Amino acid sequence: MPVRVAENSVPSQVSGTNSEHTSPPACTLLSVGQAFSGTQNVSSLQKEEAWRVNVRIQGCDLEHGYLCGTMEALNVPMADTPVVTFWEGEIVDTKNYTFNTGKWEATPDDDKRHWMKFQCFEPLLSQVEVDGGKSLNLSNYPYIFMRWKEQYFVNVGTDCGLTIAGFYYVCFSCSDGSINGYYYDPNSSPFQKLELKSTNEGRSGFSFSSYELQ
Amino acid sequence: MREHIQACKVHSHPGVVFFHFELLSRLASSEPEVKLRALREVKNQIIGNRTKKLSFLKLGAVPAVAGILADSADGVIDKNNCNNNINNILVQSAAALGSFACGFDAGVQAVLDAGAFPNLLRLLANSNEKVVDAGARALRMIYQSKLAPKYDLLQQKNMDFLISVLNSENENVSGLGASIITHSCQTSLEQKALLDAGILEKLVSLLEGGSLSQRDASLESLATIFRNNSEVVSKFVGPEIGRSLSSVIDLAKDRHPRTRLLACMCLIVIRNTSPQLLQNIGIKTKLIHILLELLDDPGQVGDEAPFALSSLIAQKEDLQKLALEANAIDKLQYHLQRGLLHPRRHEGILLALADMCSKLESCRSKFLSLQALNLVADALTNDSADIRTAACTCLKSITRSIKNLSAGYFMNEMIVIPLVQLFLDPSTSVQVAALGALSNIVVDFTTRKSIFVQCGGIRQLVQLARSMEPAVRSNALWALKNFVFLADNRLKEGVFSELTASLLSSLICDPEPSVQEQALALVRNLVDGCMNSVEFVFADDGLILGAVGRQLQRASKPEIGIQGMYALCNVASGNEFHKEAVMHQLFPQMVDKNQSFMIKFLQSNESQLRTAAVWTIVNLTCPSSPGAYGRLVKLRNAGIISQIKKLENDPCVDVKLRAKTVQGHSEAFGVQPLLEHQTS
Repeated sequence: MPVRVAENSVPSQVSGTNSEHTSPPACTLLSVGQAFSGTQNVSSLQKEEAWRVNVRIQGCDLEHGYLCGTMEALNVPMADTPVVTFWEGEIVDTKNYTFNTGKWEATPDDDKRHWMKFQCFEPLLSQVEVDGGKSLNLSNYPYIFMRWKEQYFVNVGTDCGLTIAGFYYVCFSCSDGSINGYYYDPNSSPFQKLELKSTNEGRSGFSFSSYELQ
Repeated sequence: MREHIQACKVHSHPGVVFFHFELLSRLASSEPEVKLRALREVKNQIIGNRTKKLSFLKLGAVPAVAGILADSADGVIDKNNCNNNINNILVQSAAALGSFACGFDAGVQAVLDAGAFPNLLRLLANSNEKVVDAGARALRMIYQSKLAPKYDLLQQKNMDFLISVLNSENENVSGLGASIITHSCQTSLEQKALLDAGILEKLVSLLEGGSLSQRDASLESLATIFRNNSEVVSKFVGPEIGRSLSSVIDLAKDRHPRTRLLACMCLIVIRNTSPQLLQNIGIKTKLIHILLELLDDPGQVGDEAPFALSSLIAQKEDLQKLALEANAIDKLQYHLQRGLLHPRRHEGILLALADMCSKLESCRSKFLSLQALNLVADALTNDSADIRTAACTCLKSITRSIKNLSAGYFMNEMIVIPLVQLFLDPSTSVQVAALGALSNIVVDFTTRKSIFVQCGGIRQLVQLARSMEPAVRSNALWALKNFVFLADNRLKEGVFSELTASLLSSLICDPEPSVQEQALALVRNLVDGCMNSVEFVFADDGLILGAVGRQLQRASKPEIGIQGMYALCNVASGNEFHKEAVMHQLFPQMVDKNQSFMIKFLQSNESQLRTAAVWTIVNLTCPSSPGAYGRLVKLRNAGIISQIKKLENDPCVDVKLRAKTVQGHSEAFGVQPLLEHQTS
């Protein structure tokens, strides 16, 4: 789903170095236990293909810009069962992480080409080009940008014929809980699009569970 | 101060008791020479020998020696110190009493019970230097124990006494003054009184010009006077006292390990009290390195070093990171795996590891990479309750690793079974710590929760939820809440059938707020997931739902409101019947709108509470549900919709967005919020 920037919510630039209140907002739709489902388009020049995907948020530590969960890919060719991976996410909060990836074989140009795929990134571009977005105040911006990196296969071996070498550039909409992402791996088809929507397990409304670590 | 140990062996021959009796009878001799020899003999026998101290204690040696001290002290006054024997008897009886007290609380108690303390104090005024010294030594031994009498430092006569001893030329007397401060000073008023009396300057002079024992005693006292009192610290680092802070920093590099440790502890107290001080990365790193080095000390210094490290790094990510770079985890693990540790050291190392792993995933990864988890698991069954608690605390930190929880790494027999056994531990602090660690472990996203179920974990948790101790009840519910998070319905049913609706509803209304909060959070998780789960709150004629509503009406803390509100929110995401039941809780008998908890929560300063409240209304007014219109009208008439309209500009993005959703629902039905004067 294309995302549109609300007029009154263009992020401002912060002065000084205090970044305490400039991180993205906490959003209940992106909290632990929340589930999403949708597709990942894996089409290549040869053929059109899309996998059904389910995502579940398992951990969230906003102070460290950390998010993690599982991603389940269904109807994957060659796989007998759905393939589940565990991923860890970096939240672009300008404190722990900026828009510059600086690893996973992603150049600043790759970053720009991928972030630019999200319409709501456009208002941020000029500042991101200056300092990676470090001086942006994202605390009132209704979108949360992240990078999700799959860490291990949960239910299959590494010999399953699939790779988790790449990572996702992700944009989450706080208003409806939709997630858009693009998979980046120099050795895979470019711009594989991930589209997910918040799910409610057959309920007529939203339900929120929670755990707390001691 | 350590007791000067002379050569001694533990005797086990039955004749020994008779020998001790005979020795005691000689103490009662009227011949001063015989008495003196007997005193020397007692002192030499017990020095450094716990078994003999105990044995003499049982035979009543302490009152006997204390009696000799009292008689002789009176004698001194009568005969004006002309009898050399009397002085020798005073010296030897004081030394014997000091030995009984040294490192042995039963001995301290016996000395105090025998009334020897005031007589030892009297010796400080003696004209004979040796007598004064012996008295001061004995008193310092007593002041190593927690049982020593506290001085009321707010009384002028006590303060005068303290100043006089600190001024003494005799290092044991002035050292005694410092020990009295360390032992007696507890409140900020007392710290201030010591500051006003000029004690800080006296201690600094001991620090800079005193002997080794005076320096050590001064460092300990300074730390006591500084603790949590930034006013005293600022005076210490200020210009009037000069370069005293750098003196302490220098002492952290002293050649004596105990001095290094005490200087580090003093610096840590300064830093923890006034965080703006000692921010220099060089000093922070240096402190970490010194403390890690002191771990190698085989004695008491090495036993205390990990505790000092803990207080340095606790709650401070920057210091934990520096300690990680200084290989702190490797070093702590190295000492842990050596085995046969002194209990105090064992506990300290586990607690230092707990603090190291409390915040940073990099530290937890390092710890796990060293295969050290089994060493912590072993400590769960240690004989010492302090070590068992420390092992649980360490596990609690390590199991904060979501990555490893997700992999089900901790849900195994090596850890879960001993932890569950600790639920029955006689010590409450062990129980609470074990529940804490287990609360983390049961957040397991794999299907392996079965290990916990199979070892009877659920039944035990429910049992503990009935405990008389509020902390145990709260932690047991915390563990159950985490256990049912995203659990399948079968597991939830298992929990519910053990727990029962009546117990859960009584826990929701527990007198303790933390218990109420955890019970409501448990309900919230129980009713999440598949639709059938909502039915749990309707068991026994809706006992639980009614309890949730009642508790929300009188919620004493926002945290209680948040959990209860999410419980209602989750029920309101169910079918029509569920939504109407929630409406009934919002308006039990259509009370005055000012009494409605919903209005109160929407106006709360706590954004999470406003969020939970608005989500509930979102669920109640979903346009796709048939009764939404009727509920919207009812909510509007109660002033709730107009209250939500005010939240469309809420500073919290989450609240603002959900308020807009509710507004969207209202508009879809053409229900406009009432103006203030129209609400009923």
